[in-house]
Amino acid sequence: MKKIALALALGISVFFAACETSDINPNDKNSVSLHFEHLVGTEAFMLNTKTFTNASGEDFTISTFNYFVSNIILKKSDGTELKFADKYFLVKESLAESKVITLTDVPAGDYTSVSFMVGVDSAKSVSDVAQRTGVLDPASYGTDNMYWSWNSGYIFFKMEGKSTKSTNAAKDYKFHIGGFGGMSAKTVNNLRTVTLSMADLAKVRKNIAPEVHLTVDARKVFKTSLKIAESNTIMSPTLGVAVANNYKDMFAVEHVHNDEM
Amino acid sequence: MKKKLGILLVLTLILWGCSKEKTTEPDAPMVLFEVPSTFPNTSYKMESNPITEDGFLLGKKIFFDGKLSRDGTISCAECHNQAYAFTHHGHAQSHGIDGQVGPRNGPALQNLAWQKTFFWDGGVFDLDLFSIAPIENPVEMDEKIGNVLEKLRNDQSYPPIFKKAFGTEEVTTERFLKSLSQFMLTLVSANSKYDQYKTGKANFSNDEKVGLTLFNEKGCGSCHPEPLFTDESFKSNGLPTDFFRNFVDFGRFRITELSDDKYKFKVPSLRNIEYTFPYMHDGRFSSLEDVLDHYADGGMADLENLDPIFKKNTKRGIALTSKEKSQIIAFLKTLTDEEFLKNKRFAP
Repeated sequence: MKKIALALALGISVFFAACETSDINPNDKNSVSLHFEHLVGTEAFMLNTKTFTNASGEDFTISTFNYFVSNIILKKSDGTELKFADKYFLVKESLAESKVITLTDVPAGDYTSVSFMVGVDSAKSVSDVAQRTGVLDPASYGTDNMYWSWNSGYIFFKMEGKSTKSTNAAKDYKFHIGGFGGMSAKTVNNLRTVTLSMADLAKVRKNIAPEVHLTVDARKVFKTSLKIAESNTIMSPTLGVAVANNYKDMFAVEHVHNDEM
Repeated sequence: MKKKLGILLVLTLILWGCSKEKTTEPDAPMVLFEVPSTFPNTSYKMESNPITEDGFLLGKKIFFDGKLSRDGTISCAECHNQAYAFTHHGHAQSHGIDGQVGPRNGPALQNLAWQKTFFWDGGVFDLDLFSIAPIENPVEMDEKIGNVLEKLRNDQSYPPIFKKAFGTEEVTTERFLKSLSQFMLTLVSANSKYDQYKTGKANFSNDEKVGLTLFNEKGCGSCHPEPLFTDESFKSNGLPTDFFRNFVDFGRFRITELSDDKYKFKVPSLRNIEYTFPYMHDGRFSSLEDVLDHYADGGMADLENLDPIFKKNTKRGIALTSKEKSQIIAFLKTLTDEEFLKNKRFAP
C-alpha cells in the first residue's frame, strides 16, 4: 500500500515537473518592463515643491533627476544571460513615460536578476555621430542638457535642486556626473553597473509579460556624508566619483508582477 | 596704355578659354580634398564622411550663418576669419555673444583632418563633435543645438540643400555636424613658401635657410615637427599663470584631471603663424618677437610640468641670440600660405 502511494506520489511529481518545464516554450516571446519609481527615503518624489532631508540633516528640494540606463542584462536561473546591446534609455523624473523601459522579444523563461549600467558605455561615448540618435542625440536635450560638449561625453546622472545649506548665492546644488574613462588619456571612469536579484523571478511566458518594479531612492545620493554645504557644484569626473559610488546603491527591486494577460 | 589693355584682353581671353574648356569636360568633379604628398595619413576617418560638393557648400553656408547663435549675431566666421588663417584677428581672447570674452584665444582652422583633438585642452576628440561646443558655450554662441536645427528646418533655403547633400530634406544632428566637418576638412594649408621650397619650387633666402636649421637644431621642431608643425601633444611652455584677470587656466588638466597635465596646452601648428597673432592659449603675445623673447630670455615660470626641453640650461628656456631669433622668424614667415588665406572657395 505504502509502495503504491509512493509510486503514485512520485508519478504525480514527475508529471508536475514535466508540466513545469513544458510550460516554458523557448520559442515563446514576450516583453519585460522595468518600472522606475523615484523616492526620497520612503517619501514620494515631488519636483521643486517638497523639501526633504539628507543623511547629514540638510534640507533639499529636487528640480532635476535624470540618469542614463544602458547595457541591460536579464539573467536566468541557469546562468544564461540575455543582453540588450545598443539600447540606451534616459530616465527623467519629469517625464513619466521615460520611467518605464520596455524590453521586447524576451524568450520565455524564469529570470532571476536584472543588471544595467548607469551611464553611456565608453564605446558609445566615442562613437561616430551617426550612432548618436534618440536619447543620445546631443540636439535632443533642450535646456536639460545631458552632454558635455567641452569634454566630449554624456552626463550619466544629473540631480539639481535648492538647499538653504548651499553656500552659493542661488542657494542651489548641481550634481552632473560623467566620465567614461577617457579617449586617449586614462581618466576617471564613473560608469557603474547595478545588479539586482529578483526574489519573485520574472516569469516570461507566451501570456505573461512581467513588470519589474524598481525603487530608486534619491536620498542614497547623499549617503556617504555628501554635504551640500561642502559641495554644491559637482561637475567634473573626479569630484563625481563619490556621487557615482553613492547612486549605484539607490536601486532596488521592490517586486515583480507576473500577471497573465 | 594701349599695350597694357591689349595684354589684359589677351589674358582675359586665355582665362575665359580655360574656364570654357573646363565646363565642357563632362562631370569633372571639383577636387575638394587631397592629402598633400608631403603629409601623413589623416586622423579623421574620411570614409565616414565622404566630402561632396553639395555637402561642402552646405557646411560653408552653415559656417557663415549667424543663426547658430542665440541672437543671430555670431557665426563661426566671427572668430575664425579666413584672412587670418581662420583666427579671431587681433583678439587676445575671443569674444562672443553680448560682447562676452572667453578665457582663450581662438585657434586657427587649418589641416583639421590631421588633428586628433580639438581646443587648447584637447577636450573634444572628434571634429564632428567639435561644433556643438562653441554653439552651446554661454560666452560664444549661447544657443542649443536642437534650436539651431529647428531654425534651419524653418529656413526655406536649408532643406533643399540638405536634400542635395544627403538625399532628403531631413535636418539631423549628424548631417548638420558632418556638413560642417566637410567644409572644415577642406581647409588645407600646404602651399606655403616652405612647401614650395621643400618640393624644389621656390628658394629660401639665407636667413630663411639658417632659420629652418636653427628651428630644428634648437629644438622647436621637437614639438612642432614638419610638415604639420605640431606633434599634437600637450606641453607646458612655462607661461606665468596669472595673466588673464587672475584666472588660472589649468589647460589639459581641466579635461584629464591628471596632475601631470596641469598647465599643459595643445601644441599648435605654426603654419600661417605670421597671421594668427596674438599668440598662446590666452593671446598674451602680440608679436613673434615677443614669443621668441619668452622662449629665450628666461621669463618662463618654473611650473611643475614645465617641459624638460626648457630645463637644459641654467637659464630656463632656449638660448637664442637676437640674430638667431630674427632668422627663426624669417623662416616662420615662410609658413604663410597666401593661396590658403585668399582662396575664394572658402569665402561665403
